[in-house]
Amino acid sequence: MSSAPLRESPPATAGDGTSRAVPSYCYNCVAGPDLMTVRVENGVVTRIEPCHAAASIHPGLGRVCVKAFGLVQKTYNPHRVLTPMKRTNPRKGRDEDPGFVPISWDEALDTIAARLQDIRARGLVDEAGLPRVAATFGHGGTPQSYMGTFPAFLSAWGPIDYSFGSGQGVKCVHSEHLYGEFWHRGFTVCADTVHTRYVISCGSNIEVSGGVCAVRRHADARIRGVKRVQVEPHLSPTAACSAEWVPIKPKTDPAFLLALVHTLLFEHERTALDLPFLLDRTAAPYLVAADGYYLRDPTTGKPLLWDEASGGPVPFDTPGARPALEGRFTVATAMTRGPDNEINPLQNAAARTAFTAMADAMLSYTADWAAGVCDVPAATIRRIAAEFLDNACIGATIDIDGEVLPFRPVAVTLGKTVNNGWGAYECCWARTMLATLVGALEVPGGTLGTTVRLNRPHENRLLSVKPGEDGFMAAHFNATDRNGWMAQPSGRNAHRTLVPILGNSPWAQALGPTHLAWMFSRAAPDEWPTPNLPEIWFAFRTNPVISFWDTAEIGRAMARMPFIVAFAYTFDETNHMADILLPDATDLESTQMIRIGGTKFVEQHWAHHGVALRAPAVAPQGEARDFTWISTELARRAGLLERYNAALNRGAAGAPLKGDGYDFSLATDRAHDVDTIWNAVCQAATAELGGPAETRDLDWFKQHGHYVVPFKRGDWYLYPTMVRLGLRFELPYQERLLRVGEELGRRLHEQNIHWWDRQLDEYVALPQWHDVPARWERAIRELGADPMDYPLWGITTKVMPYTTGNNAGIPLMHEVSANLRGHGAVIINAATAARLGIAAGDRVEVRSPIGSTTGRAEIVQGCRPDTVVIPGQFDHWKTPFAKDLAFPSLNTVVPMSLALTDATGSGADVVRVAVRKLRAEADAP
Amino acid sequence: MTRYVMVADLRRCVGCQTCTAACKEGNGTPPGVQWRRVLDLESGTYPNVHRVFVPVGCQHCANPPCLEVCPSTATRQRPDGIVTIDYDLCIGCSYCIMACPYDARSLVDRTHYAFGDTPTPAEAARVHHQTSGVATKCTFCAKRIDAGVARGLVPGTDPEATPLCVNSCISGALSFGDIDDPAGPVAELLAENQWFRMHESEGTEPGFYYIWDKGTL
Amino acid sequence: MSQPIASRRQSYWDLRAAGNFIGGGSGAGLVVMAALAALAGAPFRLALALGLAGVLLGLSLVWLEIGKPWRALNVFFHPRTSWMTREGIVASLLFPAGLAASLMASPAATSLAALLAGGFLYCQARILRAARGIPAWRQAEIVPLILATGLAEGSGLYLLVGTATTAAIGCALLAALAREAAWRAYRAGLAGTQLAAPSLAVFDSPAARGARAAQVAAVALMVLALVAARLAPEVSASLGVAAGALAAGGGWGLKALLITRAAFTRPVAIPAMPMRGSSDARAWRTSRS
Repeated sequence: MSSAPLRESPPATAGDGTSRAVPSYCYNCVAGPDLMTVRVENGVVTRIEPCHAAASIHPGLGRVCVKAFGLVQKTYNPHRVLTPMKRTNPRKGRDEDPGFVPISWDEALDTIAARLQDIRARGLVDEAGLPRVAATFGHGGTPQSYMGTFPAFLSAWGPIDYSFGSGQGVKCVHSEHLYGEFWHRGFTVCADTVHTRYVISCGSNIEVSGGVCAVRRHADARIRGVKRVQVEPHLSPTAACSAEWVPIKPKTDPAFLLALVHTLLFEHERTALDLPFLLDRTAAPYLVAADGYYLRDPTTGKPLLWDEASGGPVPFDTPGARPALEGRFTVATAMTRGPDNEINPLQNAAARTAFTAMADAMLSYTADWAAGVCDVPAATIRRIAAEFLDNACIGATIDIDGEVLPFRPVAVTLGKTVNNGWGAYECCWARTMLATLVGALEVPGGTLGTTVRLNRPHENRLLSVKPGEDGFMAAHFNATDRNGWMAQPSGRNAHRTLVPILGNSPWAQALGPTHLAWMFSRAAPDEWPTPNLPEIWFAFRTNPVISFWDTAEIGRAMARMPFIVAFAYTFDETNHMADILLPDATDLESTQMIRIGGTKFVEQHWAHHGVALRAPAVAPQGEARDFTWISTELARRAGLLERYNAALNRGAAGAPLKGDGYDFSLATDRAHDVDTIWNAVCQAATAELGGPAETRDLDWFKQHGHYVVPFKRGDWYLYPTMVRLGLRFELPYQERLLRVGEELGRRLHEQNIHWWDRQLDEYVALPQWHDVPARWERAIRELGADPMDYPLWGITTKVMPYTTGNNAGIPLMHEVSANLRGHGAVIINAATAARLGIAAGDRVEVRSPIGSTTGRAEIVQGCRPDTVVIPGQFDHWKTPFAKDLAFPSLNTVVPMSLALTDATGSGADVVRVAVRKLRAEADAP
Repeated sequence: MTRYVMVADLRRCVGCQTCTAACKEGNGTPPGVQWRRVLDLESGTYPNVHRVFVPVGCQHCANPPCLEVCPSTATRQRPDGIVTIDYDLCIGCSYCIMACPYDARSLVDRTHYAFGDTPTPAEAARVHHQTSGVATKCTFCAKRIDAGVARGLVPGTDPEATPLCVNSCISGALSFGDIDDPAGPVAELLAENQWFRMHESEGTEPGFYYIWDKGTL
Repeated sequence: MSQPIASRRQSYWDLRAAGNFIGGGSGAGLVVMAALAALAGAPFRLALALGLAGVLLGLSLVWLEIGKPWRALNVFFHPRTSWMTREGIVASLLFPAGLAASLMASPAATSLAALLAGGFLYCQARILRAARGIPAWRQAEIVPLILATGLAEGSGLYLLVGTATTAAIGCALLAALAREAAWRAYRAGLAGTQLAAPSLAVFDSPAARGARAAQVAAVALMVLALVAARLAPEVSASLGVAAGALAAGGGWGLKALLITRAAFTRPVAIPAMPMRGSSDARAWRTSRS
C-alpha cells in the first residue's frame, strides 16, 4: 500500500463569515457513507451539496443520495426534542401519556449513572446469566457512526444484550449475511457490476437501496450493454431499469433458482461448465458416503476424492491427483465423521462425488416443474439459464492492474424477502452454486462478497480468510458439541444456543433471531424460562414499534421494559415508552470519523480507502449534545472513565490510537473533550493508513473532510486469496451444516426442547424444495383463519428517499417521494382492483388475521394480480408529521411467529392478506 | 452562439428524486413547488409493462409558448436560450402556466413552509418572498451559471457553473452544457445517441433532450 | 405501446377566472345585441350597460385572482403576442366606446362598441386557444365555440333584460344554433386529438350534461317561442325569457366546467422507451476479453 495519499480533497471554500462549505458525510443507510458538502450561510445550514472534490476517488463521483438533502430539515425540525426529559407517568403503553418533562443534563445523566452503578454493584448479569443492560441500535450498524464514542462506553461496561431487534432478520438480507459470509466472506453479495455482462436479479432492488455507488455502476453498465433480468412480483425501479422483468410468484424464487441449476446440469454439455474451477476450488470432487458425510481417509481424517490418475481414493490435498468430478465409486477402507465426532469406519463403502450428489438432488427440479411453482414459463427459465451460461465466458481471463484473473461476467443477486426467511437458504445456495458452476464466484465479472461482519477484520475481508478444516476457510460456528453448546443463553434471543452459523463476533447477537427476545419476554416456549427484562435498555436511532413485525405486539412488549433510555430526535413510537430522553446532536451538528472506501456493504468497490470526518456544520440546536460528550459523561458518572478511555485507546472510536511508529493514546484518568478525542482518532487513523509521516489532525479534517490511500482493485475478489492459500469454497455439499444441525437437534432434544424442530429441517447437505409459500398459508391457519379468506400476497418495497433513512418525519422526503408511484399507498394490479371494485385513489383496507392497515389504492399494471405491495414502513401514531400522513404499513399485518422463523432466525416481509375497498376517492378526506 | 441545453438519459434515470430534492433545497422553493422533478410513468398491460422515469421541468424552448402569452413581458429569453421570469414584472396571472405544454411552471399565492406556517431558519434564509404570487420555474440555475462563467468556468463541466440538479444526479442521467460547443459533453452525447424532445410537433424547439438508445438519429 | 399518462387538472384558474369568461363572454354578447337593438331602434341602453357591467365584473374577478393585483397595469405590456394584453387593451377601449354609444346612440358609436365587444370576445377565445398546455383549450375549435357561446349567452340575456321580440328571439336562436354547431365541432375536434380523454369525461358528467340540456332546451324553447309568436303571442315572450335564461345559464355552466374541471395539462409523451441495457443476450460476444 502506498504510504502517500493519492488525493487530498481541496480545502473547503474559505469562510468569509457569511458562507461556508463544511465537508461531511451521510451514513443514514448502509449503502453509504456518501461524502457531501454542507453549505452554511450566516450560521444557518441552507443546503447539502455533493462532495465534488471526491469525484475522482468515489465510485459515485462524490454524489450524495436524496436522503442527505433531508438533513437540513432534520436539523431544524421544530418537533425535535431539545432538552433531556423524564417520564412522569409510570404507566407505559400506546394509550398512556408519558408526561415527559424537561430536566437538566445533570439530572438525566445522574439518574442513569445511579442505575448503572447499582447494577454494577449487584452484577452485570442476572441470575439467568443474562445481561442487565441491553441496547438496540437501528439500521445495519449505521447508528454506530452517529453515536460518537458510545461504543467505548459499551465496551467499558461489559456484557450488554443486543438481542432486542428493530427489524434485523426481517428487514435485512439475513440468510445472505450468514451463508454469504460462510461461503465466500460475503456479508452482503453483489455483482461485479463494472465488469459483468449478465445479471439475474431476484428481487434485489439495487436501484433503490444500493446507494449512490451502485446506482452509478449499474447505470454505467446499462450504457455498456449489460443485460439484467429482474425476477420479482412487482415492477420495482430496478425492474424498470432492467432489460427484462420476470414477474414471479412471491417466495417461489428457490424453485426458480433450483431449476436454473438443474438446467445447467442436465440440459447443457458438462464441458460447458467451468470444470477446473469445480475441481480445484470447490468440494465438488469430494466423496460422499451413504450416511451423508464425507468419506474420509482413515488415517488423516481428510476427505477423499477419486483420483482418476491412480484409479483410487486419495486425500483431497494429494499433489498431482486428477480428481473425478462425478461418478459413483466403491472405496475399500474409509471412514465418516458424523455428529459429535462419531467416527464410522467403513469397508467397501459406496460413495459418490459431491457433484454427483448435487446432480442427484437437483434431478427433479426441471424448468417445467418450476414453471408450475413460480408461474414463470419453462421456456423463460431455460432461456435465462442458457443466456447465463452463454455469457459466462468460461476460459476467459482479464487483467486487473497487472494480475491475470478469470473473467466470468455473469452474476446472480438476491433481494430482501428472497434472501431472508424460509426459502432463503435454498436461494442463497442456488445463487452461489450457479456462480460456482461457471466459475463466476469471487472473480471479475462474477458474484462477489463485499465485506465481513461475522468475521474479522471488518476493514479487509481478505484478511479474514484463514485455512480451516477439510481444505475450506475456517468458520467460527457456535459450538454444538455436548461440552461446548451453550444450553443457557447469554442473551435473550439465544443466538449462540440456536443459530450455530452466527458465531459470536460483536455483530452476531444483533443478527440472531432478534424477534425471539421480544416474543419470549411475553411468553417463552416449553422448557425455556421466561427471561427477565433488562433493567436498562438503551435505544438509539431505532423504532421497533414501527419497523418490526407485528408492531402492535412489539409495542406491548416494549411497554413492559422497566427503564428505557432513548436518545431522542423527536418523540416517536418507541421513545413513547422511554423513561429518559436524551437529545443527541444530529448529523450536521456532531463530530465523528468513519472509514470509507475499499469494499463495503451493498455495492461499494473503490480503488481507494481511507477515513472521512463529520464535523459540526452548526452548533447543536437547543440543549442537544454531541454523543461523544454524552458517552464520556456517562462513563465518568458511572465510574467507568478509565475503562472507557482504555477502550478508546484500543480503537473503539474507529482506529487504535497506538500503532507502529505512532502513539496518540489518551490519558485514561481523566475526561477528554470531544475535539481532543477525535483529534487523536484523526491522527491515529491517518498514521495507520499512510504511515506516521502522513498524520492529519482534526483541524486538517475539518478543512479537507477525507483522506484516502489506494486500494488494490484485485482485492475486490476473494479468488486470488483462495488460490494463494490453496483453499476450496465449501460448495456444493454442506457436510458441515448437516453435522451441526444434527448436533444442535441432539442438544435441544436432550433438553426436551422441540419447538425449534422445524428450523432443524433446514440443516441439509443439499437444499431441497419445500413448499415455501405454503408455510405462510399454514401460518394463517395457525392463527385460526382460513387462507382462502386471505387470497392475496402482501409484500413491501422501498423508495430511495425513505430507504432505511429513519426520516418519516421529514417533509422534504414526503414531498419528493410523492412523485413516485405507491408512496403511502397500496399498490394493486389493475385487473385485481377491477375485480374488487377498487378505483385509483380509493381508500382500501389490507387485512391479515392479526390486524389491518389502510391506504390509498395505487392501481398499476406492473404488479402480479395475486400480489399487493405496501412501500416503506409507516403507520406512525406518535412521530410528528409522519403520524398525520395516514399511510399504510405491511408491518402492522405481518405476524411474528416461530413458524415463520427459519433456521438462521430470520423471517420475511410477506403475509397473506385480504383487500377491500373502504370508500371511494371522492369520499376520502 | 451559446445555447444551453439539458440532456436526460432515460436509460440511466432511476427516479430517485435526488435532483428534485437538490433543486428544492438549492433554489429554496416552497413545499409543493418543484422546478425539477422526475415523473414515474408506466405503459403496457401486465405482464408486458414498461416503467420509465422522466426528469421534467422548464424545457427552455427556443420558441416558448409561455413567453408568447405573458402579458407583462416578465417572461423573457436570454441570448443563451435560458427562459427567465422577472419577478418584479410578473402579475401572477398564471397564463404562462396554462400555455406551457410541459407543465413546468408553478405559482403559490402565499408562502408556506415545510413544518407549517413558521419557517425553519434554513427556510427563512432561502425562501424568497419575491417569488410569492408570481410564476416560477426552473432557471437552469442561471445565476449559478453566470457566476461561474464570470469566473471562467464551463457550465456542464465545472460543478460551480452547473445547475444543481445536474451536479446532484447520482446515476449520471442529467447533463448540461452548450449545445453549440462541438467539443462539449452535451454535443457529444447527442451525436452518439438517439434522442427525442418532448412534444416536438409543437414547434417549441425545447432545450431539453431525452436520450433513449445508443446510435445516431 | 400505450401512452404514459401524467396529466393533471390545472388548479390555477378557478371560478374567478371562469367568471371572466362567463361575465366577459356574456357581457360582450350582450353589448353586441344591444348594438343590434340600437341599430334596429329598439331600447338598448340597459342591455348595453349590463353588458359592460358583465365585462367589468369578469375582469374584476380576474383581478381578484392574480397573484399581484397591484401590478395589474403590467397586463398591457405585451400587445405584440399576448392575447391577454390585447384583451385588456380592447376592454379598455370598449368601456369608453360603450359609454359613447349610450350617450350618442349613433349607429357609428354603437357599431364601434359592438365591434370592440366582438373583439373582446375574440381575444378571450384566443386566450384559451393560446393555452397550449391545456389540450381542452388549445383546440382550434375553441375559438368559434367561445365566440358562439358569448353571443348565445348575450342574446339569451337580452331576452331577459331587453324585449323578447320575435327578432330578438330569432337572433338568440341563430346564436344558440351557432353554439350547437360550434360545440359539436369542438367535441369532435377534441375527440380526435387522443389527448383529451379526461376532459371528455368531464363533458360527459351529469353537470355537463345538465348544462348541455339547458342549451338544447333553450333552442327548443326559442323555436317554440317563434312558433308561439304566430299562434299564441302572449306566451311567446315568456317562452323567450325562459329560453334566454337557459341559453345563458347553460353557457355559464359549461364554461365553468371548461375552465375549472375539464382543463387537464398535456400528458407527457415518450415516443421511445429507453433501452435499459442489452436486450440481446449475445450482444457481448464480440467484445469478449
